[in-house]
Amino acid sequence: MFAFYVLLSCVLLFSHSAYQQSVYLTSANYVTSSLYKASSNVTGYFHLKGINESLQASNARLENEVLNLRHQLSECMTLLPDSGKFMFESQRFGYIPATVVNNSVRHPRNYFSINRGERDGVKTGMGVVDQNGVAGIVNVTGENTSRVISLLNETQHLSVKIKDTNYIGSLNWRGGDPMVAYMDEVPRHAKFNAGDTVVTSGYSTTFPENIPVGTIMNRIKGRDDNFYILKIKLNSDFKALSTVRVIKDEYKPQLDSLKNFDLPSDK
Amino acid sequence: MHREVIRLSALFILMLLVQVLICNHIALFNVAVPIVFIYFIIRLPMNIGNGLLFTLSFLMGLCVDICSDTPGVNALACTLLSALRKPVFFAYVPRDDKTKNIIPSMSTLGVATYCKYLISMVGIYCLLAFTIEYFNFADVKDIVILSACSCLLTFLILLAIDCLIINRE
Repeated sequence: MFAFYVLLSCVLLFSHSAYQQSVYLTSANYVTSSLYKASSNVTGYFHLKGINESLQASNARLENEVLNLRHQLSECMTLLPDSGKFMFESQRFGYIPATVVNNSVRHPRNYFSINRGERDGVKTGMGVVDQNGVAGIVNVTGENTSRVISLLNETQHLSVKIKDTNYIGSLNWRGGDPMVAYMDEVPRHAKFNAGDTVVTSGYSTTFPENIPVGTIMNRIKGRDDNFYILKIKLNSDFKALSTVRVIKDEYKPQLDSLKNFDLPSDK
Repeated sequence: MHREVIRLSALFILMLLVQVLICNHIALFNVAVPIVFIYFIIRLPMNIGNGLLFTLSFLMGLCVDICSDTPGVNALACTLLSALRKPVFFAYVPRDDKTKNIIPSMSTLGVATYCKYLISMVGIYCLLAFTIEYFNFADVKDIVILSACSCLLTFLILLAIDCLIINRE
């Protein structure tokens, strides 16, 4: 009996297959998600002050951006009257608002659950952001809930770039402080300063380009002399994650279908 | 018998809820995590059959794993802890007819013996759980710090629960 349970636990622990992705064995299952939803109805009020301040800051930044864009648009319309037609292209990214019902930051592989699932259009592989930046990627979807791989997960690698210089790297959290992650594979010739913003590279259908991730703290010594490792202070406060948006890429089906397209071989 | 089944079921559900709804969200100074659900395994009667002991321990760990998205970590650690329960208990308590059927508690064992049994069980569990979860010898320092701090915090909380139970009795 003992050997059977040890074996069963090891299968759960080491099998990175359907077992771990099964909705019944994750917090996205009906019973657990109902429990967390009930609990979050109470605990959701705890961080409201901080979230409100953060939303106000984000709102102010967006208002400024709208004003700037309106100004630029009116200038463009004056200079090139037919440039307005580019504004009416179909919108590529859509957002599904959601609330975090369960969250963890203390494990080496953290996940959080949201109160939106397949019924709301959430699918595996969709990106999740909060008002401050990237939060994670949807991993398991239930009917009304989903489990998201947090950015605070050692197995998660995110393609990012330094905002103004466009140098690309890979962001990865290495445990410990939930506010600090590391950007690997930054070329030695890259120019950057402490405080520079790091954003998503846009090289995937998961996240659009230029979504904030964090700011550069300093450079640390890497194993490879050809590349830098940058210490990044994350924008999102994962301890107080509350309201998030799931990103829906309207082009994803088309882009995914291209992956299956093989070039005809020369004969 | 029925009373015992109800007591154990209530303890199972209560410990599971306390762990997943409250304790899972606490990480004191980022190093001390309260792991209170093992109180269920610690307080199981000593005369319980091995099959039932392993099953209940595995189920408790599995339920915590499902709720915490840590597949297999607590299930394996709980099963291993349940196997070590009797050797740990009889390391502090003489093996005789009186102690064979005992439910480990402060009133049945005395404060000093119970504390030794409690801190040994909590310490073993913390070491097992964090070793399984990190599963990397590069993180030995982290595992030791996490285990030591979590063991101390869990021990104090479980001792407080025991004191509350004694006061109520």
